[in-house]
Amino acid sequence: MKLRRLKVVSILIAGVFGLIARGMADDLSETAWTLERLAALVKVQRESTIFFEETTYSSLVTRPLVTRGVLRFTPPSRLEKEVQEPYRERYVIEDDLVTVESERRNLTQTLSLDGYPGLRGFVETVRAVLNGDVKEVTRDYDWLLEGGKHRWVLRLRPREQSEGMIESIELTGTDGHLQTIMIRFAGGDRSVMTLLPGRLP
Amino acid sequence: MIVSRWVPLLWTTAMVAGCWYLTETLSVRNDLEGLLPDGATEAQQVLLSQVRQGLSGRLILLAVEGAPAEELARLSRSLAEAIRANGTIGIVANGVDDDQETDRFLIERYRYLLSPAITTETFSVAALRTSLEQRLDDLRSPLGVLIRDLIPTDPTGETWRILQTWSGGNGPMRYRGVWMSPDRSRALLVVAIKGGGFDVDVQESIQTAIRALFDQVVKQSGIQARLHMSGPGVFAVEIQRAIESEAWQLSVVASVLVVGLLYVSYRSFRLVVLSLLPIVTGVVAGVLVVNQWFGFVHGITLGFGITLLGIVDDYPIHLFSHLSGHESAGSVMRTIWPTMRVGMLTTVIGFSALLLSGYQALAQLGILAIVGLVTGAFVTRWVIPACIGPRFIPLAVPRHVASRLDLLSTGQVLAVTVLILASAILIWSDTPMWEQDVTRLSPVPEEKKLFDQQLRRELGAPDVRDLLVVEGSTIEELLEKTEVVAERMEHLRTNDIIKGYDIVSRYVPSRRTQLERQRRLPERTVLERNLAEALNGLPFTPGLFSPFVEAVQRSRLQEPIGPEAFAGTMVGVKVESLLFSQGGRWMTVVLMSGVEDRWRLTEAVEAWKDLSISYVDLKEESNRVMTAYRDRTLQLLGWGIVAIGVVLAVGVRSVAVAVRVLTPVLCALLVVAAILRGVGEPLSLFHVATFLLVVGLGLDYALFLNRPGCEGEERLRTNFGLLVCSGTTIVVFGVLAVSKTPVLHAIGVTAASGALCCLFFSVVMARRKAYVA
Repeated sequence: MKLRRLKVVSILIAGVFGLIARGMADDLSETAWTLERLAALVKVQRESTIFFEETTYSSLVTRPLVTRGVLRFTPPSRLEKEVQEPYRERYVIEDDLVTVESERRNLTQTLSLDGYPGLRGFVETVRAVLNGDVKEVTRDYDWLLEGGKHRWVLRLRPREQSEGMIESIELTGTDGHLQTIMIRFAGGDRSVMTLLPGRLP
Repeated sequence: MIVSRWVPLLWTTAMVAGCWYLTETLSVRNDLEGLLPDGATEAQQVLLSQVRQGLSGRLILLAVEGAPAEELARLSRSLAEAIRANGTIGIVANGVDDDQETDRFLIERYRYLLSPAITTETFSVAALRTSLEQRLDDLRSPLGVLIRDLIPTDPTGETWRILQTWSGGNGPMRYRGVWMSPDRSRALLVVAIKGGGFDVDVQESIQTAIRALFDQVVKQSGIQARLHMSGPGVFAVEIQRAIESEAWQLSVVASVLVVGLLYVSYRSFRLVVLSLLPIVTGVVAGVLVVNQWFGFVHGITLGFGITLLGIVDDYPIHLFSHLSGHESAGSVMRTIWPTMRVGMLTTVIGFSALLLSGYQALAQLGILAIVGLVTGAFVTRWVIPACIGPRFIPLAVPRHVASRLDLLSTGQVLAVTVLILASAILIWSDTPMWEQDVTRLSPVPEEKKLFDQQLRRELGAPDVRDLLVVEGSTIEELLEKTEVVAERMEHLRTNDIIKGYDIVSRYVPSRRTQLERQRRLPERTVLERNLAEALNGLPFTPGLFSPFVEAVQRSRLQEPIGPEAFAGTMVGVKVESLLFSQGGRWMTVVLMSGVEDRWRLTEAVEAWKDLSISYVDLKEESNRVMTAYRDRTLQLLGWGIVAIGVVLAVGVRSVAVAVRVLTPVLCALLVVAAILRGVGEPLSLFHVATFLLVVGLGLDYALFLNRPGCEGEERLRTNFGLLVCSGTTIVVFGVLAVSKTPVLHAIGVTAASGALCCLFFSVVMARRKAYVA
């Protein structure tokens, strides 16, 4: 009995201390929620495999187009985007090379990421954030971090507009979890990728 | 002596007039075209026109190195812009898409005639439905942003397909939008220069312009980086400049040594200066005649010719050596003139072989040498004696030197040993007798060739070696034929006989094919109906595809396009290099890469049983051209020696003496060939041509030694003269032998060792007459 009481007390004490600690941490983070801290947190909490749903809005079509699949990240530089619905296509990006395996286009090829401007902005920003590599982002993009630790928005705009066809990229998340990635293209089209944690295969 | 005063004056006047005329009319050309042999067979001609104006000759490969990849990419963009803005250089490509604007324009207008995928099925409901669904999937893939704007006008994706066909795959690796090596250590660019000629001066000015633009770009950007250029044109300039600077340095060294030797021999500035008169006159006269005859003098002919004319120096040396102070120079000249004349005549016969070789560069060299030689001899005969006053007292012949030479005349044993040794080397040496690989004659360093090959691999630029030549009487006939050939090539590729190929039908379909595709394009109502049915249930914005319907309708009425429509584009440069007319007929070349087994390829092509298609291995072919010239020169050398024998026999009025004169020369040739083989040098065209020079030299030596009355004091003087003659020759050509340029080296080694051997055998085989010391 004594032992059990002791255990309860200690849990209570720990809980109180935990609450105090968390409160202090929140206070601190609210005052100084920086890109560095965001990146550091994402690096700790990132998941190596995560489902996604991507919706493309284009003026060419009357309703949004949806694809679903899995994102896989192997630090430091391997990122895989596998589309499973409505067709099967796999992009494996390692450093600056992308290997495309496409059933519908009946091809497998490896080429520079430059061949896929639409993919490049996505890969560069997502990979850098997942890696906690702030320099990578700030070198090529103007950025703005809004919100707090529990709900943040990172707005990015490529410095050299002429190079890509991407106008802006917006990442949102909570704590160290990336939630959506929105890419706005030069023609006015945009794609929104929503990450669905917990739905592990 | 009225004559002696008039002659120098006349000579001076003639020289001044000649020099003045030369400065007015002389045109020195440095294009390789003038230097290249005209091929005898059709295959050779095609090969040569490929070399002269083909794509490979017009391409300059640029590599920017020495900075981080990001900065290299930026430099590549700025450099390409600068070259484009310059406007005089040519077409530049670095992977950035905007250089394909004109190509894109053509595709935009003619895609339904150009695309290989147009069939009657393309516009059916089912096929359209499949295309549209694919575009929908494209839109939601990372490709979407690239092709979104094309979808309304080109839903069947012909633009993409044509670009894919044209690039023949994926092209070089890119980084930041520009071509870069896989390790990103260098940005890659290609410049196709304007014009088809292969003029070294033009090439050089273009290369200088590119370098200047690069320096400017580097300065503006503040990025430190290096520019490397490569390609046949770059090599040509390097070779030319290397030969020029080497020839210049070597001739300065040789001249100083010769003048030194002459001064040591005669101790008279006057004689040294006089010995230059025949050479100078010979050069001026020779260049003048070549310039009149051909309309120009090739830079390389000029360099080699002057070196060859170094042997004219032998004439005044013979004269000076026979001056004794007892007789006037004129009467000495009269006594040795018959011998000198026969020597000159036989040497001229030797050099005429060059005239008949059919190789323009050698022909120029031959004329320059012959005219120079004859003029030099005449100047020695009439001008020099007039310039040496009657009171001139020459230095006494150094007897100890001259008499020692005669000790050699007891050296028959040595001579026989040398001959046996030489024959043994000739028979048993491992060195191949003939140089089979022309590229070995190229002075381009091995590492530069390797770098060039690497750049080519990274850029996917053709390294032209294996090609098919297809003929036709009109462009249309030829294009139709290449379409058939293209199918066969595909067969060769799937059978792994070749890895890849580039054929003109990939870019320009024949008129017949274009018209056929045109017939497959549906009428407006049919297309609209099919499209509406195919669109059923798909979420495309209504009316999105009206540009597509319009484009197809426009294409139905279009006039098919020909190769000329591509002028000024990168594809146009390619088409021009693949398709050309030759003597009223049209020809095209199909470039093949990755040929593993040339024998299988030959068999496969022969199995087509099509006489208008022939397979050419350029490397083999250029070796064959050179070999053909070498064999011809060799043959002429043989006939030349026979002719020289006849002239000799007539000139000295004795067959026995002619044999005695000719034998040492032939022995010398044998030993020289053995020496070359012994040091591991297979014989090339240039060695064989130099044999002629050796024959000329050797005959002179033997003739003087076998002159009637060549005994006693006279023999001493002759010996001394020969020592000085051979000394100067060995010095001049010995200097040439250290040259890094294979051709100069070949001439140098052959002539220097030839002079030595000729002297040795002539003395050994000369009539043995005791002389009184």
